[in-house]
Amino acid sequence: MKEMAKLLIIDDEESIRKVLTVSLASDGYDVSAAAGGEEGIALFKKESPSIVLTDIKMPGMDGIEALKQIKKLNPDAEVIMITGHGDMDSAIEALKLDASDFLNKPIKDEALSVALKRAEERIAIKKKLKEYTDDLENMVRMATEEVKRRSDFQNKLITSSNDAIVATDEKGDIVIYNRGAERIFGYPRVEIIRKMNIDKLYPQAIVLEFRSGLERRGDADLSEWREFAIVAKDGEIVPTRFSGSILYGEDEVIGSVGFFQDLREVKRLQEELIKSERLAATGQTVAGLAHYIKNILNGLKGGTYVLNVALDNNDTGKIKGGWAMIERNVGRISDLVLNLLAYSKEREPEPENCFPNEIVEEVCALIELKARESSIEIQRDLDPLLGKVYMDPNAIHRALLNLVSNAIDACIFDSAPKKQWWVKVATAIKENHIVRFEVADNGMGMDKETREKIFSSPFSTKGERGTGLGLLVTEKIVKENGGTIDVASEQGNGSTFTIYLPFQEAQKS
Amino acid sequence: MAKKVLNVEDDVDTRTFVSTVLEKNGYTPILAKDGEEGMRKVGEERPDLIILDILMPKQSGIKMYHELKTDPSLKDIPVIMLSAVSKRTFLRSQEALTEFGDETVPEPQAYLEKPVEPEDLAEILRKILG
Repeated sequence: MKEMAKLLIIDDEESIRKVLTVSLASDGYDVSAAAGGEEGIALFKKESPSIVLTDIKMPGMDGIEALKQIKKLNPDAEVIMITGHGDMDSAIEALKLDASDFLNKPIKDEALSVALKRAEERIAIKKKLKEYTDDLENMVRMATEEVKRRSDFQNKLITSSNDAIVATDEKGDIVIYNRGAERIFGYPRVEIIRKMNIDKLYPQAIVLEFRSGLERRGDADLSEWREFAIVAKDGEIVPTRFSGSILYGEDEVIGSVGFFQDLREVKRLQEELIKSERLAATGQTVAGLAHYIKNILNGLKGGTYVLNVALDNNDTGKIKGGWAMIERNVGRISDLVLNLLAYSKEREPEPENCFPNEIVEEVCALIELKARESSIEIQRDLDPLLGKVYMDPNAIHRALLNLVSNAIDACIFDSAPKKQWWVKVATAIKENHIVRFEVADNGMGMDKETREKIFSSPFSTKGERGTGLGLLVTEKIVKENGGTIDVASEQGNGSTFTIYLPFQEAQKS
Repeated sequence: MAKKVLNVEDDVDTRTFVSTVLEKNGYTPILAKDGEEGMRKVGEERPDLIILDILMPKQSGIKMYHELKTDPSLKDIPVIMLSAVSKRTFLRSQEALTEFGDETVPEPQAYLEKPVEPEDLAEILRKILG
């Protein structure tokens, strides 16, 4: 059923009002009628009709004035002017004022019906247009919000990324530079965005590749992650991992982007890992030390027992023997503790003026007795040109003592019959302020598998007599003092350990 | 005549300790520092008892023990193991060795774990040798 459109008739002639009202009501309209302009406006305000039929010539407020008022109240209202003879000028004015149509008096049914139909069509079109417009406005608003939301999201993404994100336009001028970039490059955003070109910010090697990409000169493949050191604003060297890309629009280059991962934390963690692995190995060492320490305890107990028996019997020989046992084992404990400490602590080298050749002699004196007991000859080959130097004497002592100890054990544990065993310690001063220390033996030697294991964790072939610690400590000391250590060995044919350590000229005191 | 006791032990301090205990208790100590020397001394000296260490260079106590117990002329010499290696580990090693032969090897007379109290050692010696 057709919706009842509301209609208002304004005419000072009662007969016209009556006829039109009846006729239009029977057509299904909701009709109200007013006798003049003022009454018509009042009714219009009350009923808000969508169509108005108004006479032009009326006493009081005339049709033109009514038209103006109605349009003020509702610009979309359809106002049809009823014109009489001589109303042409008014009619034209009414048109200018946005009247919709005319009906000439006397009003013919057909004309009326056509005018109303057209009015209703216009109302329908306006309604649809409004709907579309509202809809469109809504859609634009929603789309704008979505765009804004995504833009916000991406901005947050870029800002919050820990990695540096640096994007440029097609000329290489920087347009995006996030907090991560501030942290790595050191420049604040205000100094960079639209103020600096990547020519100035990136390391040269990367700049060249980006330029080549931006100018489409070649196949710039920046996509693989590579390690690169960045020099920050304050000169600090920052290790980073870098990957980049050229950005394309429809067919042209629109810019570039670079991602930099800060590796400082990673490098720090790697160093921590090495340190904690070393500590963990110390823990392993403690477990492996059980046998070793048991033997030392046994030696101490035994020495005390022998000493007591000897004192009871006044046996001087046995007193000396017992005491020697105690002394020897105290020495072994001391050696073990020193090695453990050297292994697990980070130690800064403490250089002083010293004579490396003298240190070698001290070490040889310490192991003299043990060597003699097992008929091992100790040889020295000391460079006479190696005099006083500025190095860490304790480091040299500990490193050499461990190597010489191992060399002697290599001879003791050598199962070859009737060999003349020897251990040789050599020093040599080399160019570029390097001292070379060599500890060689002709004992049991090592096979390839053993050689590969000895520097990686506590490893000993000496059963309960070995801790595997000595070599690890030596290697650590050598590294801490800026040197290198190498080994050459053949199973059954002995080993030679070579240490290179840097030195400085002896300081004037 | 004082009974002869052979101590096969690579650690010099333990050797000194054991020989002192032996002398104090009236036995004659004979010393060897590895399995090779040990087997030689067994042949030369014919000891009444052997105190045997396990972990030694050149020839371990495991091998020497097996050799002793599978030699008809030597298997009756009582043997005391004295080692830092646990008894269980030692017995397992003997099982492993006998897998390859027919002879079952008897357990040692006594098994002492280092470090050992002089009185404990003396008591066992007395029990076995009198």
